[in-house]
Amino acid sequence: MAGIFPSVEWVTSFKDRLNNDEQYARIAKNWEGDLMFDIQPGGVLTEAVQIYLDLWHGKCRDAYIIDDQHAPEKEAAFVLKAPFPNFARVLQGDLHPMQAMLTRKLDVKGNMPYMMRNVPTVLDFVRCAQDNTNALLGE
Amino acid sequence: MQPVLTIDLSTGAVGEFVIPVEWERHFLGGASLAARMLYDHLTPELDPLSPEAPLLFLNGPLSGTSGPVTGRFVVCALSPATGLWGESNCGGFWAPELRKAGYDGVWITGRSDQPVYIWIHDGEVALRSAKDHWGLDTYTTQEKIAAELNAGKPSIACIGPAGEAQIPMALILCDHGRVAGRTGMGAVMGAKNLKAVAVKGTQPIPLHDPQTYTAIRSAANRALRQDTLSQSVREMGSAAASDYFDYLGSMPKRGFTRGLMEGVEVISGATIAETILVGITACHACVIACGRVVALEDGKKRKGPEYETLVGFGPILWLLDAAVATRMGELCDRYGMDAISASNTISFAITLFELGIITLADTGGLALAWGDAAVVEELVHLMGKNQGFGSQLAQGARALGRRYGSEERAVQVNGLEVANHDPRGLSGMALVYATSPRGACHNQSDYFMVEIGSADDALGMQYFSRQEGAAKAANVAIHQDWRTIFNALVVCFFGNVPPQTIVDLINPACGLDWTIQDMLLAGERAWNLKRAINNRLGLTRANDKLPQPLLEPLPDGGAAGFVVDFDAMLDAYYTARSWDPQSGYPTRDKLISLDLGWVADDLWPQT
Repeated sequence: MAGIFPSVEWVTSFKDRLNNDEQYARIAKNWEGDLMFDIQPGGVLTEAVQIYLDLWHGKCRDAYIIDDQHAPEKEAAFVLKAPFPNFARVLQGDLHPMQAMLTRKLDVKGNMPYMMRNVPTVLDFVRCAQDNTNALLGE
Repeated sequence: MQPVLTIDLSTGAVGEFVIPVEWERHFLGGASLAARMLYDHLTPELDPLSPEAPLLFLNGPLSGTSGPVTGRFVVCALSPATGLWGESNCGGFWAPELRKAGYDGVWITGRSDQPVYIWIHDGEVALRSAKDHWGLDTYTTQEKIAAELNAGKPSIACIGPAGEAQIPMALILCDHGRVAGRTGMGAVMGAKNLKAVAVKGTQPIPLHDPQTYTAIRSAANRALRQDTLSQSVREMGSAAASDYFDYLGSMPKRGFTRGLMEGVEVISGATIAETILVGITACHACVIACGRVVALEDGKKRKGPEYETLVGFGPILWLLDAAVATRMGELCDRYGMDAISASNTISFAITLFELGIITLADTGGLALAWGDAAVVEELVHLMGKNQGFGSQLAQGARALGRRYGSEERAVQVNGLEVANHDPRGLSGMALVYATSPRGACHNQSDYFMVEIGSADDALGMQYFSRQEGAAKAANVAIHQDWRTIFNALVVCFFGNVPPQTIVDLINPACGLDWTIQDMLLAGERAWNLKRAINNRLGLTRANDKLPQPLLEPLPDGGAAGFVVDFDAMLDAYYTARSWDPQSGYPTRDKLISLDLGWVADDLWPQT
């Protein structure tokens, strides 16, 4: 079970999904860069949640919710930041990730040339995240 | 807005035109207001290159106010390229200097018997000889005139040899290579023996409520600076999304006949950022700074190519060298020639040569071939000088097609060459090209950005699949109306500013109490006014079409095999617009609903 987004169960399941998805492995075979979801309070989420994902050559090497015990040694190469309701709309397929970025609903920080060169990888990563999402906080 | 300066170059008479308040309320400024001012003058009998033809430079109500992306002005006239509505806007610093000089526009008629330039300085106006500057390229012209004026740092909008030769793709250039590129406004200047308009001002720019405006524009600029799209464009220029456009099959290649090209990733803003980029430039008060400064083998810093030049002098000509695109873009700028039209027309010439329709006898011995940078460079020189085979190309793709009996193969609409966003990859561009008031233009609506996600629900827009058909027609119309407001204000499309913020800026700037819906209505009004101008010039539904090459499937790439269902899309568009399907005119009821009853009486005279 994927668990509720955002939760430890969701993150664990997402890591497994990325590591077992053949399409993602193929499309993301050249991707090098860790990533952080910076989920800001909004809707039913009252405190920020940050999810770290170490993505490398089509696999997810590590994934966890950042807290006192788990934190990356350095800032992730890419940070996706948005209030929880916007993350929820993307994961439910109600908001295209590019639309979210271009209509100021999702901030993206990181190496933008690299990101733009790898839009297909990013979109397939989002597909996996959507497939991994059965339930959202508050549902 | 401030008065519009009127200058008759035949007599030297100078005057002022005060814009009626009602016109400002209906059209705001920029291209929309220009359409209102020019409406009575643009008749089928008017020769766009005659002394009688007016040429209008106009600001918008936000020009030069240090608001987000507000450094632009527009130039409008009857287009010598299309014979229809001509409009092209431009960044840099010219607009704010004109405002600070006490004017918001310059209405130019007549023809000087000798080359001249206009010098506008804090309410003073002078006509000065340009005999020594005639024949100079655009950058040298600016240097010479600035040195001659010795008045701080004036902004100088000028033409090059292409404008002097009145070729239909001649542009107007100012500052660091900012251009009013399309529809041949440079040719209209050249026909008036007008080399340049230099402006310098020191007066404050008038705003209705400067205190409120300043607070809102400061916050808006801070937000825009942090915006993801802004940061991408700052980092990679206007070619930031070129890799994505290629992936989607929207980046045209080899004369719009291919979807794939090995190694095309070098044609991208990302590659330029990682290789030849040495700096960035910005227009007045812009927090984005899309301008590229690059260094090639000679180490000299020069303007780098934006997306259209990079693709036009790249994959469209089967070339893969950002340095070549940079050099060709600079040549076009120096001659004063639109890079989109120039590269598109060259690609069409190569197509016709490949088919045996154009021969060595026509080209003066030049063998035209895909991927031959040396031949392309020779053609650009010949076009800019209006010499030899270049003088045929300089008339544009439609004229070249007519000359060789192949007009249907020219990738143009109504005389303007298609910009570098293939509608087979992003279908909304089919309607944009077919219905734009100035021909196949991407600056009346950059709907390709909507196709990749920039669909703002605050405007009532939806996000459709990129190859959806008739369902997106109304969405295209909304976006055209919204961008018509941008061209009225005159602000830059790269500014990813929330619609409500734009309303919040306009209201204190102009003393209005508008909503987003009021803005969209004003956009729709001006869109229909430009349509009516074109209808009176002879445009009908038969003009709303795509060139044949874009109605044929690509063999490969992200849009392979797909062709838009154009007829269904156009039908739906007409319904969304309330345009008469037989004539192609806006209906009388539609015009009246837009407070354009006076136009309705012209298009639909009552017996």
